[in-house]
Amino acid sequence: MEFANLNLSLAAPEITLLVLTSVILLIDLFVKDEGRTLTHVLSLVTLVVLTWMSLSDLASGVRGSAFDGMYVADSFSHVFKVFSYIAVGVTLIYGKAYAKDRGMLRGGELYLLALLALLGQMVMISSGSMLTIYLGLELMSLSFYAMVALRREHVVSTEAAMKYFVLGALASGLLLYGMSMIYGATGTLNLAGVARATTGIGDNHMVLVFGLVFLVAGLTFKLGVVPFHMWLPDVYQGAPTVVTLLLGAAPKLAAFAILLRMLVDGLFGMAADWQPMLAILAVLSLAIGNFVAIMQANIKRMLAYSTISHMGFVLLGLMSGVVEGSAFNAQNAYTSAVFYLVFYVLTTLGTFGLLMLLSREDFECENVDDLKGLNRRSPLFAGVMLVLMFSLTGIPPTVGFYAKLAVLQSLIQADQVALAVAAVMFSLVGAFYYLRVVKVMYFDEPVDQAPLQGSASFRAVLSVNGALLLILGVFPAPLVALCALAVNGSFAL
Amino acid sequence: MASDMAQTSFPWLSLAIFTPIVFGMLVLAVGRDSNPGLARVLALIGAIAGLLVTIPLYTGFDASTAQMQFVEKVTWVAQYGVSYHLGIDGISLWFVLLTAFITIIVVLAGWEVITSRVAQYMGAFLILSGFMIGVFAALDGLLFYVFFEATLIPMYIIIGVWGGPNRVYAAFKFFLYTLLGSLLMLVAFVYLWHSAGDTFDILAWHKLPLGHTEQILIFVALLMAFAVKVPMWPVHTWLPDAHVEAPTGGSVVLAAIMLKLGAYGFLRLSLPVVPDAAHSLSGLMITLSLVAVIYIGLVAIVQDDMKKLVAYSSVAHMGFVTLGFFIFNTAGMEGAIVQMVSHGFVSGAMFLCIGVMYDRVHSRRIADYGGVINSMPKFATFFVLFSMANSGLPATSGFVGEFFVIMGSVAYNFWIGLLAAVALILGAAYSLWMAKRVIFGEIVHQHVREMADLSRREFLILGLMAIAVLYMGIYPAPFTDVMHVSVDALLKHVAISKL
Amino acid sequence: MSVPKLYLLIAFAPLVGAIVAGLFGTGFLGRWVGRAGAHWVTILGVLVSTIGSVIVLKDVLAGHTFNGSVYTWSAIGSVKVEIGFMIDTLSAMMMVVVTSVSLMVHIYTIGYMKDDPGYQRFFAYISLFTFSMLMLVMSNNMLQLFFGWEAVGLVSYLLIGFWYTRPSAIFANMKAFLVNRVGDFGFVLGIGLLFAYAGSLDYTEVFSQSDKLAGMIFPGTDWMLLTVACIALFVGAMGKSAQFPLHVWLPDSMEGPTPISALIHAATMVTAGIFMVARFSPLYELSPTALSFIIVIGAITALFMGFLGIIQNDIKRVIAYSTLSQLGYMTVALGASAYSVAIFHLMTHAFFKALLFLGAGSVIIGMHHDQDIRNMGGLRKYMPITWITFLLGSLALIGTPFFAGFYSKENIIEAAKLSHIWGSGFAYFATLAGVFVTAFYSFRLYFLVFHGKERFNASGAHGHGHDGPAHGHDDHGHHGGTPHESPAVVTVPLILLAIPSVVIGAIAIGPMLFGDFFKGVIARSPDRPVMEHLAEHFHGWVAYGLHAFSTVPFWLALAGVVVAWFFYMVKPAIPAAIKTRAGWLYDLLDNKYYMDRFNEQVLARGARALGSGFWKVGDKSLIDDLVVNGSARLVGWVAAVVRQLQSGYIYHYAFAMIIGIMAMVTFFVLLNN
Repeated sequence: MEFANLNLSLAAPEITLLVLTSVILLIDLFVKDEGRTLTHVLSLVTLVVLTWMSLSDLASGVRGSAFDGMYVADSFSHVFKVFSYIAVGVTLIYGKAYAKDRGMLRGGELYLLALLALLGQMVMISSGSMLTIYLGLELMSLSFYAMVALRREHVVSTEAAMKYFVLGALASGLLLYGMSMIYGATGTLNLAGVARATTGIGDNHMVLVFGLVFLVAGLTFKLGVVPFHMWLPDVYQGAPTVVTLLLGAAPKLAAFAILLRMLVDGLFGMAADWQPMLAILAVLSLAIGNFVAIMQANIKRMLAYSTISHMGFVLLGLMSGVVEGSAFNAQNAYTSAVFYLVFYVLTTLGTFGLLMLLSREDFECENVDDLKGLNRRSPLFAGVMLVLMFSLTGIPPTVGFYAKLAVLQSLIQADQVALAVAAVMFSLVGAFYYLRVVKVMYFDEPVDQAPLQGSASFRAVLSVNGALLLILGVFPAPLVALCALAVNGSFAL
Repeated sequence: MASDMAQTSFPWLSLAIFTPIVFGMLVLAVGRDSNPGLARVLALIGAIAGLLVTIPLYTGFDASTAQMQFVEKVTWVAQYGVSYHLGIDGISLWFVLLTAFITIIVVLAGWEVITSRVAQYMGAFLILSGFMIGVFAALDGLLFYVFFEATLIPMYIIIGVWGGPNRVYAAFKFFLYTLLGSLLMLVAFVYLWHSAGDTFDILAWHKLPLGHTEQILIFVALLMAFAVKVPMWPVHTWLPDAHVEAPTGGSVVLAAIMLKLGAYGFLRLSLPVVPDAAHSLSGLMITLSLVAVIYIGLVAIVQDDMKKLVAYSSVAHMGFVTLGFFIFNTAGMEGAIVQMVSHGFVSGAMFLCIGVMYDRVHSRRIADYGGVINSMPKFATFFVLFSMANSGLPATSGFVGEFFVIMGSVAYNFWIGLLAAVALILGAAYSLWMAKRVIFGEIVHQHVREMADLSRREFLILGLMAIAVLYMGIYPAPFTDVMHVSVDALLKHVAISKL
Repeated sequence: MSVPKLYLLIAFAPLVGAIVAGLFGTGFLGRWVGRAGAHWVTILGVLVSTIGSVIVLKDVLAGHTFNGSVYTWSAIGSVKVEIGFMIDTLSAMMMVVVTSVSLMVHIYTIGYMKDDPGYQRFFAYISLFTFSMLMLVMSNNMLQLFFGWEAVGLVSYLLIGFWYTRPSAIFANMKAFLVNRVGDFGFVLGIGLLFAYAGSLDYTEVFSQSDKLAGMIFPGTDWMLLTVACIALFVGAMGKSAQFPLHVWLPDSMEGPTPISALIHAATMVTAGIFMVARFSPLYELSPTALSFIIVIGAITALFMGFLGIIQNDIKRVIAYSTLSQLGYMTVALGASAYSVAIFHLMTHAFFKALLFLGAGSVIIGMHHDQDIRNMGGLRKYMPITWITFLLGSLALIGTPFFAGFYSKENIIEAAKLSHIWGSGFAYFATLAGVFVTAFYSFRLYFLVFHGKERFNASGAHGHGHDGPAHGHDDHGHHGGTPHESPAVVTVPLILLAIPSVVIGAIAIGPMLFGDFFKGVIARSPDRPVMEHLAEHFHGWVAYGLHAFSTVPFWLALAGVVVAWFFYMVKPAIPAAIKTRAGWLYDLLDNKYYMDRFNEQVLARGARALGSGFWKVGDKSLIDDLVVNGSARLVGWVAAVVRQLQSGYIYHYAFAMIIGIMAMVTFFVLLNN
């Protein structure tokens, strides 16, 4: 490969993160304080720096590919990275006290692993070739396996980590197998190359489809799409809430990114084949997710299933960009999918954040009933949770409603009315368990009278988080515009 | 669209919508359980301000045109062609005023009765009021949907927090039942948005040509939403539960205004957007309406819970409304609209009366009363008046709408008119039988003997309602005059096929 | 044209009285108006309208009729609906009757209700009634007619249930309102038809199109549209004027205080139906079918309700059934298209029946609120004025020559005889037979009350009578005791009513029936020249009266009186014997032809059964349990099943993934290619 198209500068955020992470690693060795405040601050600083870098890249419209096309920098990657930084940063703020109380800060691993996972996600987001996709994915996954098991003494966590690791390995295997198939059929790992090779193929179409199935399976595993979702409830429930949040927010962005890059950048020629796959997986996710969530008494588990159902919506948005195998206002479709994903990440941050707010050193808030009478204890945060729940239900005036609207309109535009009806009907089922949360908060009397803990910054950020969902619900235009910018600048269809 | 609309300088409608909402937020913000008085006063100020800002809508209203008035239009979400588009015509005008008026009544009704979380109670009602006015004023489909749907949240909380023993079931039933309908409506809206060229402008939808099958499908989707809200048989069963469990204020708002959201939806959307479907399904709609009038009327007779009885009578009265819509003549349409407003006063008043008794005895069972007139003569006067209005006695508002609708339906088809007129008998039967068992007779229960007559506050509330009921019965012209042109235009529009 | 102030004054003076007495006398808005205040303000109001009405009548006779609107009530699209007055001979005459009787009743009430705690309320009600009744008769359109129609019904409801603690009273008033609603049900439909096809609610506008309407066919049938409309309207009249089978409410309405029995349930309200049909004569004249329907209903009511009067022992109920029977007579006259005769009888009846009721009330006071005639007898020497006036009233009722009732009733029978429409034969027979029946029950009552031996001292054994408020009359607690003549406020109205009961017929028959008093107001179809034939027999009131002695009705009446005297004065054993012999007949009459039982057991209970059926089966079981909660249960069940997949075993999870892959491979790779 030639030196010219190395374009290291494009990968500046990743490089910076790597360097700063190593620095923090070294510094952390000398941190004595139990709370790891210094590490905490430094990590946040790192994230701020990164945010600034990606934003300025976005502003200056930096675009191009590095490492001979294996790395892509475009508006999509900038936007997604920014949201990932925010997700990780907010999670770290929410999780500090929680992690400390559970002795997860004896060493700085939490922060370092989180940053390394973020690095993996960034690589995924910017991947221009199947190789980078795989590298990023593994870097992220390995960090998470470790993080889930961070509470060594905690049986449930370790079991969850075990499951996650085994199934994750299996998924990676499937992914690799699929990739090898594609490679075999096209002779290249580079997505652009794959794209060129797969437009108008005839003879080895079968091989490609064969690979595609495995590819989709491997890619949707991290999103937690049925039937590759099984790990998700156990891990969400088993992992310490802070890790659950690290796992539940940013990685979804990355996972979606590689899915989009793989299918749209790489295999758009086979849209006719992957569109129905996504449709089926989406409907399955909506059905299983919503139905099973009803039965859950454990709120983390319930949210896990709700995640599954929401991923169904994301897939619907993604697949609605294609009509009879060719692009049909695809950018609108991908924008809606991205918009939905972003809404989901913002809401998830809030919900798990609130769970951590309600948890204490001796008390893990993980059952729906633990929220009983919250309105008595703290009208403000009951209100925040109310907004979050109705946002997940998709009731205006919350951003969740507009997210649903975005997906519905792209479905309708693609003449997928039946899918649209199915989607709303399943979300009607879903409404039930979100309402139940509101019910316990407002209609029931509190059993746990203890005052809420949580630092001022925690409370402030959480309140902002809730308010944001409301404000974006009233004025969604800017966010939609941002998502549109991310998509339009990157996927020329 | 701006061409065929009178643009206005001052945003009275936005003011009407956001005055209560802002006050509601304020009440939530400053209200403390320690100092409920502040919340009450602030809420009352907000409600009164809310009514005052709607007065210019009436005084400044031009009854000579069917065009939208007090129009405001601002692009809202450009990407999805959503705009903040408000405007009222002769059809919607009175509902805006009614909502603002009822809000004051509700705030007063909850004054001393609500003692826990007063701020949240008052705040919820004020915000709810703003949302409901929004529905009546919205000219953008999505805006309509946003307001329509947003009303669920405060009502869910109101029923669930301040409701009766079975409130949780009622609240869930209310929410999910209504959501089922409105989600399908959302799909229909998006479909219309798509076929209208990416616009949610309702007035553009009015002009939008649509095929017959798609009209039918859209009509059915909208029907799901509106029929549940109205409510029409057989999707009415959420209402008795919601009414019975809701606190008095909740029942009042539910009966007086929320039911009208559905009926209004027919006027603003179903009829003008898919007229051909409306015509070809009118047989079904008329049948359902008549079932509501007769079947539900009979059901109301045998209720032993006063709130349930009035709830069922509400369903029966709303049957008149939908009947009036789908006979497609002036008498029917105007009668239906008048009936909607009148029902707002009458059923609201009935629920207030029941609330007055409930506050004293804490029972809604008819059997627990009897001879109330002996201990509460003033109250008895009001109760009998409103019962009479409920049974459609002339010189009360209850008569006007029913009379018009019967006139219209006889003109449409004598036998339909005949079935509708059965309401005269059934209405009298359930209203007077309840009055007989509750108000008249010897006192049989000690707790009835101890009931104190109306307080000044209660007298004021019921007095206001009584004035409204009588005024509308004796001189309904102010209510009907504003709507003639708009109704005429609507009927003309509906008469023209889109095929 | 603007409404003369006088009309407004006539209509609204009683309303003002009612409002003042009602709001400020009952404690609703304080008690500023005391008892005296209440009766003064209301009597003043009614006095004003009485004087006004008389002036209006003179005025109208001088040819100054009026038809104009007071204000526009509302509009249906472009059709204005107005509140307005139509002042012609018909309405003017009704106004005089209504206001004068109402005035008498107001004065009478001072004495009758003097100890009642609801004194102010009562005056408010009867003044409100007067207002409503005036609105009804003065109306120039169907809406206002219906308004008055229902408003008098409302006041009647309130007054029947005046003593609201009495179960029988609050049952009777609900029954009255509901039965009337059944009538109004038809009435509204009639109005609806006329509005639909004439496009207006205004009398003159509708009547002006009568020819056009006459040509119309009821859609989907070959019936005349007008026939349907007229019968529908008459159903309303059947309710209000208590015609068979909607008469059932009137006897029970005697639960109300006696003054309103006189005012509402004898003189005025119950005649509203007769008035309405006369008012709509331009339409009824066009539909022989409707007229036949009317005459048959009237005949049935006239005869069979009379029978029921024979066996009653409650003084008020006897008179109530006689009222029913007399209303039947009026209806027969309507059916025979002798509208003016009907109105004429309406007027005479208003006076003598009010007189009889008030007389009965006076007796009831004298008897310390015992109404059972078996406990009376020989009252004439205790209550001379009551006795005389009551006798005059009875004579008028049975149609003694030269008395008011004679002129009106005689003409009805004649009209039935002369009419040729279907059913007139039966009507003639019924009215003729009715004369005997009327005379019999009237004088049975008269003799039992005022003659024979005094039974009241022994009456301790008999149950307490009905009338008299449940409270406030404790001073009358002791029963039996010597009866006493009533105070002047009671007797003066009796005397004042006795006068017209005697003379009004002789005075009015000429102009009202055979003059052109009703010219242009009441239609006369050339096909049925009943009035013309009647006119041929008429040569002045004296001749008419003398001629009567040679007619069947007179001898029938006489026979009735004699039989009554023989049965109840000479040989009381005979009726007792009949009672035991013809037990089934007695039971039939005693149970009022079992109609109440039918209504309560079949109709009312049936409706309730239907209602609870719909509720329990339809709403609860099917809709709620099966569909609503059912779908919720279904969701729960599906969820419970699906969650089983989440076993927690890692190999299950892996297995699921593999299965998923396999399925997709088979589906997309193998099947699709």
